[in-house]
Parts: sequence; structure tokens; C-alpha cells
Amino acid sequence: MSLTPLLRKIFLVDLIKGLKVTFHYQSPSEAITEQYPLERPIVYERFRGQPRLNSNPDSGESLCIVCNLCALACPEQLIVVKGERNPATKRKEVVSWTYDLSRCMFCGLCAEACSTDALELTQDYEMALYSREGMILDQAALECGQEPVRYAK
Amino acid sequence: MLEAIKGYLSTNTTPGEAGSMFWATIYILIITIGISLAVICMNWLERKILAHMQIRLGPMRVGPHGLLQPFADALKLLIKEDIIPHDADKLVFWSAPVVVTMTSFTTFLVVPFGRTHAVTDLNIGILFMLGVSSLGVLGIIMAGWSSNSHYPLMGSLRSSAQMVSYEIAMGLAIVSAVLMTSLQTGTGTLSMIGIVDAQNAQQTWFIFKFFPLGLIAFGVFAIAMIAETNRAPFDLPEAESELVAGFHTEYSGFRWSLFFLAEYAAMLAVSSIAVTLWLGGWMRPFPNWLSGSAWNLAFSFVPALSLFVLAGMCLLGALRMPRIPQMRIQTVGLATFGSLLGFVGLVLLLPGVRERIQDIFWFVAKVAFFMYLYIWYRGTFPRYRFDQLMKVGWKVLLPTGLGVLIATAIWGLLPQLSTAILGVSQ
Amino acid sequence: MTDTKDRTAYLDLDTKDETFLDATELVINMGPQHPSTHGVLRVILKLDGEKVLGTECVIGYLHRGVEKIGENRTYAMFNPYVDRMDYVASVSNGLGYCETVEKLLNVEAPPRAQYLRVILTELCRIASHQVWLGTHALDIGALTPLFYCFRDREEILKIFEKYCGARLTTHAFRIGGCLYEAYDGFEQDCKKFCDFFLPKLDEYEELLTTNRIWVERTKGVGILKPEDCIALGVTGPVLRASGVKWDLRKRQPYESYKDFDFDVPTGQNGDTYDRYLVRIEEMRQAVRIIRQASDRLPQGPIMAKVPKVIKPAVGEVYHSIEAPKGELGYFIVSDGSTQPYRVRVRPPSFVNLQALDKMVRGLLVADVVAVIGTLDIVLGEVDR
Repeated sequence: MSLTPLLRKIFLVDLIKGLKVTFHYQSPSEAITEQYPLERPIVYERFRGQPRLNSNPDSGESLCIVCNLCALACPEQLIVVKGERNPATKRKEVVSWTYDLSRCMFCGLCAEACSTDALELTQDYEMALYSREGMILDQAALECGQEPVRYAK
Repeated sequence: MLEAIKGYLSTNTTPGEAGSMFWATIYILIITIGISLAVICMNWLERKILAHMQIRLGPMRVGPHGLLQPFADALKLLIKEDIIPHDADKLVFWSAPVVVTMTSFTTFLVVPFGRTHAVTDLNIGILFMLGVSSLGVLGIIMAGWSSNSHYPLMGSLRSSAQMVSYEIAMGLAIVSAVLMTSLQTGTGTLSMIGIVDAQNAQQTWFIFKFFPLGLIAFGVFAIAMIAETNRAPFDLPEAESELVAGFHTEYSGFRWSLFFLAEYAAMLAVSSIAVTLWLGGWMRPFPNWLSGSAWNLAFSFVPALSLFVLAGMCLLGALRMPRIPQMRIQTVGLATFGSLLGFVGLVLLLPGVRERIQDIFWFVAKVAFFMYLYIWYRGTFPRYRFDQLMKVGWKVLLPTGLGVLIATAIWGLLPQLSTAILGVSQ
Repeated sequence: MTDTKDRTAYLDLDTKDETFLDATELVINMGPQHPSTHGVLRVILKLDGEKVLGTECVIGYLHRGVEKIGENRTYAMFNPYVDRMDYVASVSNGLGYCETVEKLLNVEAPPRAQYLRVILTELCRIASHQVWLGTHALDIGALTPLFYCFRDREEILKIFEKYCGARLTTHAFRIGGCLYEAYDGFEQDCKKFCDFFLPKLDEYEELLTTNRIWVERTKGVGILKPEDCIALGVTGPVLRASGVKWDLRKRQPYESYKDFDFDVPTGQNGDTYDRYLVRIEEMRQAVRIIRQASDRLPQGPIMAKVPKVIKPAVGEVYHSIEAPKGELGYFIVSDGSTQPYRVRVRPPSFVNLQALDKMVRGLLVADVVAVIGTLDIVLGEVDR
């Protein structure tokens, strides 16, 4: 064996190189842990999280026109929309709107299919609940979103 | 009472030599409490330092920055259900952790924390330590056998085979250090205090003696001691990703914590051997190069300074904590802990305490450095496979140890040999 | 009790199968729940002391019936399900499926969509290899590379999140192109990631490649000869490390891989160390491709003209891509309706796993874990 590899082997150079790498990462500024719930992660704009039924900001009416496209687009068929035609405005209005969050896989096909901007997947990700029944959201829950318990002000 | 204590503290002998059972008991109590405290510190330090090497934070919630985590772990282990396997040999099952813990603790009887700060100064000190730590292997075999399950049995056999093979390399390295003690006086000594005194008399730490032989002997011992205590990179018998989960599989709760305690105590014991034999024991750095009363005074401030540094880090951490009501108790706790450390530092500044604490502080600091090395290796190196582990022990360390021993002997005898040869030829 | 039925006769191996049960042998179960089996894989080992005489893998613990689900969903609806097979590298699953359906429909995604797809797939390749590196090192005992690798993976997942809204089950592509336009700063983010990542790769090499413990644990372990690779149908880095220069991106170029300049690393011995080196080099080449693609990202539409209701003509098509783990193939049979008649997935991990038996004969128990790690299997893919 030539001299340099032999010296490298005797003086444990390869082991010391590894030790240097781990030593240099010890400073606390390198730690990448986010201490949830004190530091919440930033989610970006396109994040597919908690669904929400949007309403017209001026009039407060729901933007949903009961076209049923979201229910048809969903792979899991967990949206059930019932509406009836309002003869005065000649448009369909929502009677009941159910979304089963427990089976949702947040693929976004429903929000893609929505013809108005009614259904949107927001940036909320704290959706844990204690029971399965609470995960079937009705129109009211969908419009105001969820209020998770905050552990820090 | 106070005069008795003062009178004792001014004597120049260890309690063992003075034949005082009372003071020997006090020292044993202090050492036992000290080891337990050290193990608690090691638990926290290991988790935090390993975490930082892995760019994460480690425990942060249980107490400020996880300082109460070891206590939480100890409490959890104490209240765990005590499970004994159905067909286990009950007496052996019960006594295995006791044997392992007792042997690890007994080795501390001869460890010198200072010139007179050992429980006793046996004149076969190092041999005693080596022999008693070998008894620990018996405890491991007992644990594996009594569990009545073939995974712990295989694990314990592997563990004991590994410990026994590396003890040979350790022994050879120790003998070469002991050989060096006979250089000036002509008579060597196996007593731990005597070895450090020999380093003092020869004015050089044995790691630098006969360069590079002292260094190689130290290196052999440093590697062998990691394998002896079943730590990374030699921790295959304990690793979780292998089929055999180790000799302490069937132990739960307090019994497992005894094994854990014994492992860390053994780590402390072999580090103490390394420190005593090669790194000058309780001597401060550069006792001869930077000698004189001015330097002595300067170095005597180091213990207090180090505690002030620790206290400063705690207080800084308390300042940096988020200021929300839920974190207030942690901030207060950390600030209190920091002030406590600062107070101890102030106590260490008092002139009377300053001189006496020197030896103990330097010894503990050197052992702490070795503990840090243990954690550093665990974070960096992969694991050796068992046959590769045995190969390293028998085919690499044993010949190196033998070679260093023979070389040390020849070098040590060189003056006499040369006068004999030259004298005859003249 | 002796079980003398030659269960591996169909494999045509050169050594006679001697794995019948014998009293001197020990049968150990590396159960579904195990820290190193990368998912719920059950491996039954027949040992002679410490040496492995034979293995049998029991899979199916993660079977979710994805292919059956495919028969009951429309083509566009099935897209999200595909990500969940190889959940570590979900973007490439989506790419394979979309390309197969596009082949069935005879459309091609526009150039900008193709470049976007290539960038995301190569990022996904790096992410998948990072998971592999971290878990493989963890199995061999090095605890820290796992966290370093996941830190780099975080950066990639951030880019995925910014682009399509999800980190893991991305659903990034659609049939005919991409739905999402590249966000502002997409190219800069990719280039920043490349600059951030390459020094990290050098660090991992410093930690592991020359480390004597790593070399001893991986050199000569789990050797797979090129003839055996081809006979077993093994693809991906495992095949390339045995010396066979076969990469679908070069041999059957899809997307816009023809436009990019990259090398295909191969090994010589076909052992674990070579597979490690090949994957590290693949990560470097992926960075090269990402840099080229982000520099030359063309303008234009990102979606081809695809009918609103996808009803391909009656027929069948097989299309495969070079996923991070090997050749990922989709075989779709269409009967003219909106739902496919049959979707069959050829997962690379499933086929690579069959090479496990050949690789571990004669090795020690501690090496089985290393070999499973080096095959880079994801049980979501194996079981579907």
C-alpha cells in the first residue's frame, strides 16, 4: 500500500473528518426544530387545507350556485349538495351542503371544479377533532372555518 | 464537631490509610451521590448534545430546556410495572442488575479525585479496578441467562465476548502505563495515587511520555474502553435495529434503570482510569511549564470561572425565553438554576475553598471531556458488525498493545541497556 | 418436519435451494413491526447460527387495493390515488400515470409543462434518495445523517408546497400538462436549492464515503451480478450499480429529457457500497438537470388540449418512467368508457425486493438489514 493511504489509515483521518462535520453542527443556530405550538409553521398560499365555503363579501350570500360539479369531481364522493330553485332570483340556493372531512384526501379536485369561487381549500391545517361525527361539516361550519384551541397568545 | 472536621481535612492521608471507618463511609456516600448526580447529568447532556449534533433541539418542555427530563425519566421508570418473565430464574433475574451495579460502583473505591481524596489508596489500585469491572461481565451473563429467552441470551453472550476481548487490550495498555511509573524511582506502583505521583515526579503526563508510545497506548485504551462499555461504534449487542435486542430486553422499570446506571458508572470508571493513567489525574494543565504562585493563583480561579460561564448561559437562556404566561414558570426556574450555579461559583471563589477544590475540579473536568467524546462518537460513527468488532479487538488492538508494551519496556531500559552495552564494549 | 418443495425453482438460480427446514437451523421472523424493515415487511430468515441460508418475504400488510380502486374512478379522479403508492416520491408516480394516460389519448404536454414536470421530478428524485440515505445510514448505525437528509428534504418539500399546495401527496400534474403555473420565484428557488444542496452532499460524503466503519459494513455485502439483475428484472440504481448502463431517461427518453445533458452513473461490483455511490452521484446529476431546466424554462401554455371528459379509445398501453427506485410502469386497459378497465402498476420496489433472497445468502444477520436498506423499498409501492 502506498504511503498516503497507509498514513490516513493509521491516523484515523477518515474518522476525524466525520467528527469535524458533526462538531460543526452543534451550535444551536443550526437546529431546525420548530417548537410547535409556540412557533407555528408558515404555510404557503396554495396550501390545500381546511375547505371553506366563501360568501359574497358585500351581501353575505353564499357564492355557491348548487351546480353539483364539486360533488361529481370528488374521488371519494363525500360532498352532498342539495339545493332548490328560488323563483325570485331564478338561481338555485343551497338547502344543505355536507362535506365529510374524515374521508377527504385534500386532492383539490373539488376546488378546481367549482365554477364560482365558492369552494376553496384554505391554509388551515389544525383540524383535529375528538369524534368522527364532528368531521362531517355542514354549511355553517364550512363558512366560518374551524377555531382550534390556541396554546399561546 | 467542627474541629473534628477541620482536623480531618488538614490531614494528609486517605480515610483508608488512616483507618477511619467514619470518614471512609462519608467519602463512599459522597462518591455514590456524586456518581448518581453525574449519571443524571450525563442523561441530560447526552440527549441535548446528541440532539444538537443532529440539528434538533432535544428535550425542551420538561423543565426549562429539558433540565428536569432526567428526573421525569427516573420517576417514570420507578413507577413502571415490574415484569418478570414466566419461567425466569427468579433469584438470578433479581441479582443480575445488582451485581452489575455493585461492581461498577465498587471500582470507585480507589479512584483518586485528589491527592488525599480517595476512599482508600490500595497499593494494587489499578489491578483492583480492572478485576472488579471484569466481574460486571458475570452480571451480564446472569441477566441474559435468567431471562429465559434466546434473544437476550444471544445478546448477553455477544456482549460478554466483546467485553472480555477488549479487556485484554485494555490490560496491555494499562501495563505499559504502569511500566512508565518505575522510570525515576526504579520501583513501579500499581496504586492509582502512586501513578499520578509518578507523573508529577517525572514532570510529564504519561500521554506525552516516550512520544509517540504514550499516545499510542492511550489510543489503544481509548478505543478499548468504548468497546468495553458497549457504546457506539461498538454497540451492536444493544442496537435496536438488530434482531437481538440485548441482554436487558426482559428488564423493565427500576431493574432496567439499574443497568443503565451501571453502564454510565462503568463509563465514568474507565474514563477515570484513562485520566489517572495518562492525563495526569488531578493535576492542573501545565504544572511545570507555567509554574509559580502567580500561575497557581490564576489557575485556581478556573473552577469558579467555569461555573460563572454556566450560570451566564442559564441566565442568557432565561432572557431568551418567549415572554408568554405559559412559559413564565420555566423562565423563573431557569433563572433560579442559573443563580444557584452562580452562587456555587461565588463559594468557589473563597480562598479556603479555592485551593481544596482544585484537584477535584480538574479531575472531574477531564472525565467530563471523555464523556463528551463518548457522546460525540455516538453521534458520528456507524456501528461495527460483530465479527468486524472482534477482528478489531483481536487483530488490531491486541498486537498494537503488545507492540507498545515491548517498545515502552525497551525505551525505558535504554539508559541501563546502553551503559551495559557501551560499558562492556569499552 | 422437512419441507422439500423447491419454492424458488421458477427463479432459475444457479445454486440449489437448500432452505428446507432442518433441526439444526433456526427460523427467525423479522416481523412486520421492526425498526429497520422500512414499513410493514415481514422477512422470515432461515439461519445457521449467524449465517443466512434463505429468506422468504411476506408482504401485503399495506395492501389497499389501489388497482381495484382505479377500475372505479375516472382517469382524472384516479390521479390523487397514485401519489399514495410510493409516498416518499409521489411526484414521479403522478408523472408516470399522467404520461401513460396521455399516451393512451395520444396527446403530448406542451414544452413548458414538460420542463416543469422534469424539474419537479428531479427534485423528487433527490428527496427520495435523501430518505434512502438517511434511513440506510440509520440502519447501519450512523444516527446523524438521517436528520441532515431530512433537513434538505424540507427545502424540497417547501418548494412542492409553494408549487402545488401539498408536501407529500402532491397531485402536482394533470392529464395533459400541469394545472399549476410556476409561482413567482420558482426558478430562483430551485437554483437556490441547488446551491444549498451540493455542499451538503459533500458533507455526507465526508461523513460516510471514506469512513472505515461504513466501508467495512457495505463493501462486498449483498453482491448482485449483472446477469442476476437482468434475470430478476431488477431496475434502477440497483441495476446500474451492478454495471449495466440502463436508464430509461436515456434509453427511452420521455418528457424533455433529451434536451438535458447528464450522465448515468454506474458501479462495478454490485455491492452495497457501489449502490451508495451510484445514488449519491445520481443526486448530483439531478442537480445538474434542475439547473439546466430552470435556466431554460420556456414560455407558453402548460396544458394541452384535452377533452373535458376523458374517454380514450379502446386499447391498452404500457408506459414506464425512471422513478427514483427503478422502472415504474403503468399498464392501462381502456374499454372506451370514462373509467379504465384495468390499471396495473409495475412497482420497482416489488420487483427489486425479489432480489433480496439472492443477495443475502451466506451473509450474516446484521447484513440483512443493510441489504434491505440498500434495495430502497417502500412498502406502499410493494403492496399498493
